[in-house]
Amino acid sequence: MSALLDVIASILFGGTLMMIILTATDIAAESQATHSGDMLVQELLTNTAQLVEGELRNMGFGVPEGESAVLRAEESRIHFLADIDRDGVIDTMKYSLGDTTEMRDTQNELDRPLKRQINNGAVLSVGSVTTFRLRYLTREGTPLASPVPSDQLAEIHMVEVSMEVQNPYAPTRDPEMVGSGERNALYSTSLWQQTRLASQNTRR
Amino acid sequence: MGGKASIILVMGFAMVLGFLTVNMNRFATKAVGNMTSYHESTVAHNLALAGTNTALSKIYQDTSWTGPITQTYNSPLLRGSFTARTYALGTGGKLMRCISSYPAATGQTLKDTIEVYFNGRKRNSFSVFAWMTNFEGNVFWITEDTVWGRVHSNGNLHVNGKPVFMEKATTSKGFDPKPGTGVNKAIYKGGYETGVAEITFPNDISEIVGASTTGGRRYTTDIWVTLSPGTSASGDGMAYIQTSSSGPITDSISLADPSFKGVILGNGRVNVKGTLDGQLTISSMTDVYIQNDIVYEQNPLAGSSDDLLGLVAERNVIVADNAANSSNCRIDACIFDRTGSFSAENYSSRGLSGTLNVTGSIVQDTRGAVGQFAGSTLTSGFSKRYRFDTRLNDPAFRPPYYPGYYVRTFAISGWWESYRITSVD
Repeated sequence: MSALLDVIASILFGGTLMMIILTATDIAAESQATHSGDMLVQELLTNTAQLVEGELRNMGFGVPEGESAVLRAEESRIHFLADIDRDGVIDTMKYSLGDTTEMRDTQNELDRPLKRQINNGAVLSVGSVTTFRLRYLTREGTPLASPVPSDQLAEIHMVEVSMEVQNPYAPTRDPEMVGSGERNALYSTSLWQQTRLASQNTRR
Repeated sequence: MGGKASIILVMGFAMVLGFLTVNMNRFATKAVGNMTSYHESTVAHNLALAGTNTALSKIYQDTSWTGPITQTYNSPLLRGSFTARTYALGTGGKLMRCISSYPAATGQTLKDTIEVYFNGRKRNSFSVFAWMTNFEGNVFWITEDTVWGRVHSNGNLHVNGKPVFMEKATTSKGFDPKPGTGVNKAIYKGGYETGVAEITFPNDISEIVGASTTGGRRYTTDIWVTLSPGTSASGDGMAYIQTSSSGPITDSISLADPSFKGVILGNGRVNVKGTLDGQLTISSMTDVYIQNDIVYEQNPLAGSSDDLLGLVAERNVIVADNAANSSNCRIDACIFDRTGSFSAENYSSRGLSGTLNVTGSIVQDTRGAVGQFAGSTLTSGFSKRYRFDTRLNDPAFRPPYYPGYYVRTFAISGWWESYRITSVD
């Protein structure tokens, strides 16, 4: 009788423990996925931000004085001149935001490629972003309407860059847990903004 | 038995959870580490910027400063250092390089570089002068002469009476006689300066020659150029080329054609007339003859205009002695005579020809004559009405490949900032 009671108690205790541990494992796995997503997003963001920031800072390098360094300025597209590889030849740099359909193979339905092209070279993706927004400002800090008309391109002296990155994959949530207007996965999001990115070469 | 199983179960799950926790902590640390790394590279960059500004301040206090200057910070708020120095470049230019060092939390030393390039000289356009000569000869500025825009001569400016210089007048030698003495009663509204550095004329017009054969037009014979304004739209003018005054049109040039470099050059005499709509330089390896009025479609004195013409001659730009120019002549252009003069053909024998209206700029080696006076009375040729085209105050606004000169400067011509692409691990 005593042995039977031991077995029943053990089963109850063990079962409860197992339930607790399984729940904890679930939570831990989800948390790990979230942290992993955060890390991935941070990596994507810092990599892309450093490249964009660095190249925009050198916008106009090597371009003769009096010539406009910016060739095209739109909300999510910029074409500019700079001797980016410092070989004495002025290069045409193009940054543009791709479409969400170009990243259909990722789970995130909002991410899109940020594209970069040097001269007539291949168009390469330099990161996956969900937002890439540019605003153009004059020397006095007055915003210019986008797209900037060609006769105002020379007035651009500062660029405000806003970029948002989300992880391409994230743990899917139980449909019952997804509220109205919410997404079905736990995407990590990180936002980066340079409010006054000024190239000294456009301030001559 | 059941108790043992439970213990084993608990230990198993504890191991799994422990593993997950370690991983979670690693990810969390790395996520923060990414931002820390971004922050550290920003600090390294800001240190380089601080060094650059410090060195720039030194350079503008003393342009012969070469450095180096080193500053080290070792406070809890900021660690790191920068070193800046300058290097000489060709044509009097200079490079200032600043390198910063920042000890990152990972034990790495982050370095950032900023390079600032200075021009030793700066190109300016001759079109910024309303009037400029290498030699004034023995021609005098007299009462009723009025000049709008900058005036300069590499020689002496002779004054006899009360001419008015609306902007600054400069000479490399002096005024004859000195201002305010003798017959020099000139009014200098923008002031005057003597003994300024000579502005050297170019040795050739090779830039125009080069452009004429690479995207422009070059003709080996004498040519007649007739400018036509096209439609009322802006920038759609045409230039028609003939090889004789009454011969057929041998070439048509659309000024709106993006592949056209804006330069027409003739090896021989180049004759010009018409209405310009666009920007163009007409040049001759010998002389340019103005056969009739040359005007812009949009008059810059009457409103906004983007039309701009350069008349550049290796020798002379001459207002032809013909019926069309016998009663007034209007020229909207920047005129440049490298070795000769701007003058009127047969100025002393052509008879009274009315007024010569020039809107633009006149730069010539030796001052030429457009009329002859007896006392203050015009006996032959033109009386002058020269107006400076104020758009030319901006040296960047000049006819295509218009001659320029260099001035000593210490302007920043380029600014390079290094940047790093973080590796993904």
